[in-house]
Amino acid sequence: MKLGEIFRFEFGYQARRVTTWAVFIALVVVVVLFSRDNSIAEALLDDFFLNSPFAVAKNMVLGSLIWLLIGASTAGDAAARDVATGMHPLSWTTPVTRTAYLGGRFLGALAANLMILLAIPLGVLLAIYAPGIGAELVGPFRLAAYVNPFFIFVLPTAFAATAIQFTIATVSGRPMAGYLGSLFLFFMSWIVAGIVYSVMGRPELGRMLDAVGAINVVQEMSTGWTPAEKRVRLIAAEGALLWNRLLWIGVGLGALGLTGLRFRFAHRAEGRRWLRFKGGSGSPQGLPTADAGITSGSGSTPVPQPTRAMGARLTVRQVLALAASSYRSLALSWGGLGSFVLIPLLTLIVVSSQIQLNGIPLIASTARVVDVLVAPLADELTPWILIPLLLIYFAGELVWRERDTGLDEITDAMPLATGVSVLGNFLGLGMLLATWIALLMVGGVAIQLLRGVRELQIVLYLGALFGLQFMEYLLLVPLVLGIHAVVNHKYIGHMVALMAYVFIVIGASLLGIDHRLLVWGSGPAWSYTDMMGFGPTLGPWAWFRAYWGAWAGLALIVASLLYARGGDTRISERMAQARQRLAGPMARAALLAVGLTAGLGGFVYYNTNVLNAYATADQQADWHEAYERRFGRFESLAQPRVAATELRVELWPDRRAADITGRYQLVNSSLEPIDTILVAPAPGVEAVTLELDRAAMRLRAGGLEDEADILDDSGPRVYVLESSLAPGDSAWLAFEIRVAPRGFSESGVDLSIVGNGTFVSTVAWLPRIGFQADRLITSPSERRARELPPRAVIPVLEDSTANEAWAGRIMLDAVVGTYADQIVVAPGTLQQTWTEGERRYFHYRTDAPIGFDQSIFSADYAVREDRWKEVAIRIFHHPGHTAALDRMIASVHASLAEYSERYGSYPWSQITLVERPGHGVGMSANASMVNFGEGFPQWDPGDSALRLDMPFAVVAHELGHQWWGAQLPYAFVEGAPVLSEGLAWYSALQVVEATYGTDQMRALLRFMRRPYPIRPIRLGRPLLRGLDPWMAYRKGPYALHALREYMGADRVDRALRTLLDKHRSGAPPLATTLDLYRELKAVTPDSIQPLLHDLFEVNVIWEFAVDRATATARDDGAWDVAMDIRARKVVVDTAGVETDLDLDAWIEVGVFGRPEAGRDRLSQPLHLARHRIRSGDHTLTITVQERPVLAGIDPHHVLDWEEREDDDNIERVVVRTRPAEGGAAGG
Amino acid sequence: MELRIQGVSKTYANGVQALKRVSLTIPPGMYGLLGPNGAGKSTLMRMLATLQDPDEGSITLGDIDVVAQKDDVRRTLGYLPQEFGVYPKVTAESLLNHFAVLEGVTGGRARREVVEALLRKTNLWDVRKQKLGGFSGGMKQRFGVAVALLGDPRLMIVDEPTAGLDPAERVRFLNLLSELGESSVVLLSTHIVEDVSELCTRMAIIDKGQILLEAEPTAAVEGLGGRIWRRVIDRAELPALEREHPVISTKLLAGQTLVHVYAEASPGHAFEPTRPDLEDVYFATMAGHIGRRAGKTAPAESAP
Repeated sequence: MKLGEIFRFEFGYQARRVTTWAVFIALVVVVVLFSRDNSIAEALLDDFFLNSPFAVAKNMVLGSLIWLLIGASTAGDAAARDVATGMHPLSWTTPVTRTAYLGGRFLGALAANLMILLAIPLGVLLAIYAPGIGAELVGPFRLAAYVNPFFIFVLPTAFAATAIQFTIATVSGRPMAGYLGSLFLFFMSWIVAGIVYSVMGRPELGRMLDAVGAINVVQEMSTGWTPAEKRVRLIAAEGALLWNRLLWIGVGLGALGLTGLRFRFAHRAEGRRWLRFKGGSGSPQGLPTADAGITSGSGSTPVPQPTRAMGARLTVRQVLALAASSYRSLALSWGGLGSFVLIPLLTLIVVSSQIQLNGIPLIASTARVVDVLVAPLADELTPWILIPLLLIYFAGELVWRERDTGLDEITDAMPLATGVSVLGNFLGLGMLLATWIALLMVGGVAIQLLRGVRELQIVLYLGALFGLQFMEYLLLVPLVLGIHAVVNHKYIGHMVALMAYVFIVIGASLLGIDHRLLVWGSGPAWSYTDMMGFGPTLGPWAWFRAYWGAWAGLALIVASLLYARGGDTRISERMAQARQRLAGPMARAALLAVGLTAGLGGFVYYNTNVLNAYATADQQADWHEAYERRFGRFESLAQPRVAATELRVELWPDRRAADITGRYQLVNSSLEPIDTILVAPAPGVEAVTLELDRAAMRLRAGGLEDEADILDDSGPRVYVLESSLAPGDSAWLAFEIRVAPRGFSESGVDLSIVGNGTFVSTVAWLPRIGFQADRLITSPSERRARELPPRAVIPVLEDSTANEAWAGRIMLDAVVGTYADQIVVAPGTLQQTWTEGERRYFHYRTDAPIGFDQSIFSADYAVREDRWKEVAIRIFHHPGHTAALDRMIASVHASLAEYSERYGSYPWSQITLVERPGHGVGMSANASMVNFGEGFPQWDPGDSALRLDMPFAVVAHELGHQWWGAQLPYAFVEGAPVLSEGLAWYSALQVVEATYGTDQMRALLRFMRRPYPIRPIRLGRPLLRGLDPWMAYRKGPYALHALREYMGADRVDRALRTLLDKHRSGAPPLATTLDLYRELKAVTPDSIQPLLHDLFEVNVIWEFAVDRATATARDDGAWDVAMDIRARKVVVDTAGVETDLDLDAWIEVGVFGRPEAGRDRLSQPLHLARHRIRSGDHTLTITVQERPVLAGIDPHHVLDWEEREDDDNIERVVVRTRPAEGGAAGG
Repeated sequence: MELRIQGVSKTYANGVQALKRVSLTIPPGMYGLLGPNGAGKSTLMRMLATLQDPDEGSITLGDIDVVAQKDDVRRTLGYLPQEFGVYPKVTAESLLNHFAVLEGVTGGRARREVVEALLRKTNLWDVRKQKLGGFSGGMKQRFGVAVALLGDPRLMIVDEPTAGLDPAERVRFLNLLSELGESSVVLLSTHIVEDVSELCTRMAIIDKGQILLEAEPTAAVEGLGGRIWRRVIDRAELPALEREHPVISTKLLAGQTLVHVYAEASPGHAFEPTRPDLEDVYFATMAGHIGRRAGKTAPAESAP
């Protein structure tokens, strides 16, 4: 059988290729790293074994993703080797059918790929069973844990990828084209599927687009599966996953079918195109000869011999000519042309999907669009990862261009310095990159124009894209050229280049190489916002890139020295040639590059490690461990509380410096006298003085003289008072602090103080009192490794004394000076403002207590002022950012009115909203202060009644925190986020409903039920102990809303008001969810008590669905609607075990008619009432007077908080009409 | 200016010794390097073209050290490799123009003139707008000559240029080369004896990495005078004849076999003397009757 022989030969050939085994080994290494790194962290925090089915599946998927990138040469080679080597006239004229030829080649490649892919399970097994892993991390061996994911994920991926690589390589006749197929699949699975899945909110489609079959699936598993499931549940090909795998197997088959149809054993030459061209120009025979001239041509035409350019002028001309020719060849290749289509297309998709948030458009300002268009080289999650990957591909094509065509002997013998060809290649790729960048810019501008933006900041585009982002990518090119020159093997070189990029992106951190001086091309990022401009971010960016630029120069020199010119490829010969080439200008350039690398590296190192402290993750943990070991004994020691803070702050925005003097009033609010006080200066700032107003002795090194002082000055100072502080007594601590930047650190610069847009959090700089629990190591695995006693990440709910020190409330008196053209915003009421010379001062004082952590702002603000009763409303914003101001003011009014009515009066005389630099759209609240990122005022929901007014809702939420948080101090224990965020969102729902009506409130709830940005978590803690965002931001408000629906808003409000009254003083014990629960219980009628219990004390999930709804017209003109419903109530424990409970409850059932145009589909209820529903399948029949359209159980999702796209609570009603009445009913 | 090769050796990584202490002196003019496939011709040619370094020995062109001063050599070198490809999607004119810049012909007008002259000279002017992918073997070869001629080379290395050319192309090609030989060192490697006999004023015969003979073709042919004998026999007689006489070559002639035998005196009545040609020189050298192999091995054992 010929197919069999072709298969055998192909497989044997691939198995003997060096590339095959290079990919195999690379894959083993990567998978070992993945498995060890990811899994160790997760295995301990999430408590599943390294070899749990979930962990194995995840690593297999990541491994096949890497294979996709580096392993394309097998199929490419099998498909196009004959054409590339010129063998095809021999092999194509043998008596072999197309099917046998293609089939054998494809199956051979597939078998070779599967052999390579065995590296993935091998790597996983090595990671688990090779030495270096503690036995407690490894569970019992289960074969199916390996077999299932290999067959479900890896095998279909391999088939689809091999087929697509094979097809593209066959059609193009170029083995390297296989990589383009890979790139397409990688990009589809890793980026496009992700965008569609989450950003565009089309999870079903996104899931199908993911060819690796997993990124999304595994992502879903990692949040959707319970720890118990992750430990034991095997991956099975079912549901969406099965369809996904079938789809991609189908795509693979389709690709093969296409190849089979398109492929011909026919001479493939550019001649075909040429013939067509010739035909058009009127030479019918088209034979490419010029033999006519052979007898007549004189052959003695004198060839003029002009003087030839020499020296530097010639070198420049040669470099430019080579660059132009390189660029032309890349740009005109079909890969290049494809990129010119793909990149603008991608730009349009990415930018338009990012210039909105949660379905609400943002203003497409240039700063925001530019922010979307750029990404650091090492960012693995950006869509723009396409650009470095394409660069690597095209660099490989370019470097091997002469050798692939066989022109190398001629070009190698040309009077060109080797450096000239390398430089020509470099510039050619640079030009290609510049073209892509230009396309990005065109795409960005196009979106802006489409969105009606008139103020295009072209200079910003040019600077940010061509000045900064271009360099970011360009630095990769010399590395790739250097690798190809050193490796001198096309496919292995390409693989090594890709692996180098993988190293930059993730490998470095997997290997524990943290410092950016060690990871090619990396460094602190720059940022640009309307408020800050570039701020101080350009300096560190530029120094790091200059350093990498010097390395890039070195790489180009290495490439020039080691480029194999001519036939000798032995390394000894190439070294000898390199020595020969390392003469004259090349030697000087090398010396310069080495000097620059050392000099710039030294300068950067001086900044990051000498002027600033640099600590690896391990060193930081050492510090925390030392802190705990030395000061842990003070944890339970009573400490005085800060009751008042007086500050005098001098801000120097341009110098990014601040001088702070101030004092704390320390009050002993405990019941015992205090004789020892811990004062912890903030790390990274210079505490010039720290002085208590009473006699005290400072203990050296925390009282333990002989310990080596790893903590040095950053540890707390321990003062022993000569006469102790009696209960109720107070002392003053005076301090003087100097904040000044020293160069830049490894992570860049601190952006607290910038030229415009200073945003200082006082806890970052002011000394703290007492033992600081937040300085302890929290990760259980790290604690175990360091033999520290186990410690709950968050104190248990019942421990209401935990973190009391944090919740202390203070009065603040602050005088802040800044430049005369800036406005300072600080908590409290502005008492006075005055100017001294070039500086302007602001005196703020609080009229009611606030939290300890406060923020101070200084910028060139515009102010929008308003008033609600006695409360002054001020919005300090960047002058241009005005679009959302009216909505914000309206929301503040509505919120203050609603909340003071429902929960009690607003205690401060002002509410201040202040903008801070940054693209974020987030808001965050302190007492009487709300700050927001520059994105927030860019939200532009328009005036459509159906569109959710998100800015309004978010402001209402933050205003909610003025009660829930600012007035209700709560303990940092389990359930704390539910208490603050849950209550704030519940409150915001009431404001939205009061202002916009019930439809808008339901729209807000519907928005909350989308799985993005906060994914639902089914397993569970009870709500009382909820910690994760889904509990806090979703289930908390759902539960309160359900109570409201069942017993009315008044009862809920009464409970909340009582809760607040009891805790407003801020005196311990602080509030917890137990207090909330107690108040709710008190107001809940007996009939609702079981529901209250189900909502808060256990993790109950209600599931309702309508399977079918049919309506029959009755003789009296009414309609009988029969609904087949399913109802289920389960309790899910923290281990993920689900237990069915008997449901017997009153659940809303509704039948809806045709809605008015432009209104919600449920806005026309024909019937809406609670019915008694029990577990199981039932049929309900309801009679309505009008023609029904929809029928549903729990149609408004009061209890069933499912997050499905296809809402299965509601079903379209199938109308059965009698034939005679068909016409009438239709009309 | 002459090209001087002294004691050059080269061994490849797989152990094949391609060149063994080769020494040659090549004056200006056409010089033929004749040898069978695998003799080491291409290795020597690539060395002269700066693409490979010898393991030992030296090569100088005038006062330029070819091994150490590659850039100087390349500036004056024209090289036509045995096999080469071209960018298929580029036209002859634009690729030649590109190479002209690389060769230093940077002035726009001058470059146009040079490119035009070379395209006319190689008779490619009419097809200058065609993509190189559509060129025939001969056209491609002539394009290679045009590229090689770009830099006004004083050293022209031409490796097996006529293999695969049809007779007309070959004539045209040799004409081009002979013109060059008037001013430069032109080194032509070939396994086709006629190429050398028609063109070269001097020649060398190389086999298994060694130079067997260095001579002027005409003198070498004259030197064989009276020692080459011919006889026409049946194929079946050949083995017996080869056992008895030092046969240097056999050739088919109208269905019968024409045998050339080397002998100082008449090997027998059936043989008739013949006027030797360069082919006889080549075969006599290869068989060890003349040149450096002579006397070292017995003729009958010379071809293991």
